[in-house]
Amino acid sequence: MSFIEIHCSDVLSSVIFIIEDQIQELPRASEIETHIAQCLPCQSEVAHERAMHDLLQSTLRRTCNEKAPEDLHDLIAAQLRAQSTGTSEVITQFSMTEISIEIDEFGNVEHREIQIEQTRIQHFNDLDSDK
Amino acid sequence: MTSKDLLLESAADRNVRFERDALAFTDQLYAAALRYTKNPEDARDLVQDTYLKAFTSFHQFEEGTNLRAWLYRVLTTTFINSYRKGQRQPQISQGELEDWQLEKAQSHTSDLGKSAEVEALEKLPDSDIKRALQEIHEDFRMVVYLADVEGFSYKEIAEIVGAPAGTVMSRLHRGRKQLREKLADYARELGYQVSPDKEKGENK
Repeated sequence: MSFIEIHCSDVLSSVIFIIEDQIQELPRASEIETHIAQCLPCQSEVAHERAMHDLLQSTLRRTCNEKAPEDLHDLIAAQLRAQSTGTSEVITQFSMTEISIEIDEFGNVEHREIQIEQTRIQHFNDLDSDK
Repeated sequence: MTSKDLLLESAADRNVRFERDALAFTDQLYAAALRYTKNPEDARDLVQDTYLKAFTSFHQFEEGTNLRAWLYRVLTTTFINSYRKGQRQPQISQGELEDWQLEKAQSHTSDLGKSAEVEALEKLPDSDIKRALQEIHEDFRMVVYLADVEGFSYKEIAEIVGAPAGTVMSRLHRGRKQLREKLADYARELGYQVSPDKEKGENK
């Protein structure tokens, strides 16, 4: 083939750009297109590359379609819920009862009971302590 | 949703949104993780790690952009950062990658060679297709998988794997080429006539 600048080898080494429809990315895109339009062996080569690509793609898609183990989705969902926004809650409860008994000089018994209760909720942000 | 809405979004709402939108990709991410790690246990762990990472940085994800591509990016970076550290996978050097366009010109293949190649590929069992994909270099395998199975554009792949678009294109080119060479080898082992093709075995 005797085209002024473009040789068949130029087409063949750029064939991926043609297959990917990215021919415009090539520096000499229009010259390459012109060459292909006029060169039967290159046309046939491009057609073969396209056919092989389509065949390989459909074969790969058919074979690489494993499903995740059935429990994986639910497991992840549970992990995410546990983590929620990445906060964990710690609840601390204090309770105390103060009992006092007083007996006065007349023998009267005075009984007092005071109950103290306190609940503290702390949030720990796992996001900040990630690293 | 505006960024202000996102800030105000409650933890519970965000959890629900993530679960609804992101967890739908579990199967797809698992299949990809299988290609990356090459075994079911690691694939399972990788998918779990990916979701936990994605969840904690979900506020950085921009609503309206491609969630699927974003999840693949998290998957890929998680894999590169944690799983392959232990492995002795030689990195492909940049120069090695970029010289492909300077590759010695190929010559046209004969029509006979073409039809034999197609026929062989059609006859190979699925297990051989998977085996061939496993055997090519990891960087090539990821790119071929993302392009040909997941259908990402090479520009999207560049984002996902964190490499320049030109590098992705050359990995795609080499990856597919290696894959076809492997498949041709298997076909020959099975006794099919595949043309004793071109000079093969440029760097592996």
